[in-house]
Amino acid sequence: MRSLLLLFTSLVLVLPARATVLVPADLGELSRDALAIVRGRVVSVDARWTDDRRTIDTIVTLEVESYLKGTFGPTMQFRVPGGELGRFRSIVVGAPAFAVDQRVIVFLGAHGPSVPYIVGFSQGVYRVVRAADNTGWLVTPPPVLPSTAGTVPIVRGDVSRRPVALDDFERRVRALAGGAR
Amino acid sequence: MRRRAVAGLLVAVVFAQTQPAQAYLKFGVTIGGRRVTLKWAQRSARYFVSDQRVPGVATSDFQAALGRAFTTWQSVPTASISYQFAGLTVARPGQDDGLSTLGFESRPDLDRVLASTSFLIDGVTGELIESDIFFNSAFPWSVAQGGEANRYDLESIALHEIGHMSGLGHSALGETELREGGGRRVLGAEAVMFPIAFTAGSTAARALKADDIAGISDLYPDGDFDQAEGSVSGRVTKDGQAVFGAHVVAYDPVTRTMVGNFTLNAQGQFSIGGLSPGMHILRVEPLDDADLDSFFDVAVNPVDVDFKVTFFDSLVVVPRGGDSGEVTVKVVRK
Repeated sequence: MRSLLLLFTSLVLVLPARATVLVPADLGELSRDALAIVRGRVVSVDARWTDDRRTIDTIVTLEVESYLKGTFGPTMQFRVPGGELGRFRSIVVGAPAFAVDQRVIVFLGAHGPSVPYIVGFSQGVYRVVRAADNTGWLVTPPPVLPSTAGTVPIVRGDVSRRPVALDDFERRVRALAGGAR
Repeated sequence: MRRRAVAGLLVAVVFAQTQPAQAYLKFGVTIGGRRVTLKWAQRSARYFVSDQRVPGVATSDFQAALGRAFTTWQSVPTASISYQFAGLTVARPGQDDGLSTLGFESRPDLDRVLASTSFLIDGVTGELIESDIFFNSAFPWSVAQGGEANRYDLESIALHEIGHMSGLGHSALGETELREGGGRRVLGAEAVMFPIAFTAGSTAARALKADDIAGISDLYPDGDFDQAEGSVSGRVTKDGQAVFGAHVVAYDPVTRTMVGNFTLNAQGQFSIGGLSPGMHILRVEPLDDADLDSFFDVAVNPVDVDFKVTFFDSLVVVPRGGDSGEVTVKVVRK
């Protein structure tokens, strides 16, 4: 019994720190708040000292496949706080992690002439993954869509709450970004 | 910046193999190929309070609200962590300066983040150098005893972040709703460590729940915690395959409390510690309403959310000071 428990204890240790209190956003709010919404492939993830050299952040570079809103050019960058530089690892918990070759859809904001940031923090990131049956691309996690039926609870396990097809997701986002509800 | 000799701040990462079972997600990093969990080696953590202030919150009130939140955690009778106020500072949270600092910062780039906790770690030795908590000054804050309409309760948010500072990850024991006209809000939470904040004005998250107490006691067990409480463990499978990231909840119908955790490896295994001895109802649900990045490194571990809510087909007996023995829950696709 003891050895079984020790095994389970070891299960958790690879989880990175994630620790933020968020004001929740639905997909409509994210779509409206974002200056740009982009689908692309991650081509680099580079940690750096911030301009004031007081902490570390990470620049993620995307090879753009499509803009759902706004435009920043054929390649674009955004930043997430934290990163690993030399022997020091700064973990700003709640910051989403990215890996080269991942396909993502990110909702981006910007203040002045600075590198864009993700709107809604981790809420503004969706992953584009192959369907299990290899028939196409899905977007995950399932988006929290604005309610069209008044105030309604979100029920876990609801059969409608599944990863959605990429083209369906993008159609919805374009409509929401344009103000249609 | 690398003033790692600052007394009391240099805390080592401790290997977690000394823990009997876990409730909760814990923070972990890989150092030199070794898996380590983040926790304070010394069970007395020192913190500084930044003297930056925001409208409506005097520095002394800020410090007092933080003090109440720290006290709530260290008052858990089955846990031994404590926290010491080390003084006011002009340092700010988020600076990699060797000081564990809590304070306000203006971060317009963190537009929906009320507060966040960060760690600075020596990637070679695994030393946890500091942990900071920032509160976003872009939001309206309150330190009023009964809360204030349209202002976020600082003590509640601090309680959540201090849980992180202590090494706890997020809990999924919460329920939300979509609002007519747009937006989402929390209906209820059975854990302070639920990642989505109650609406401004609420003080509902000032008290720890069973899930929080199980988590902190698991990290820093005190007294007879290991002997008095028990655990349930097992696997979740779908079509015979392991499920990663399933949310597993143990509900005690006598105490009406619940503690949760997740399946956390390629074998779909889970373990929930800190449970009161006796019968428990086991429920498995997909985390299909969540921002998964708040819980997992989804860049590495794809989370399966395509299954129906499933109850284990019998009550599970949690023995005092022991484990239920492996329970296998089979879920089906939506």
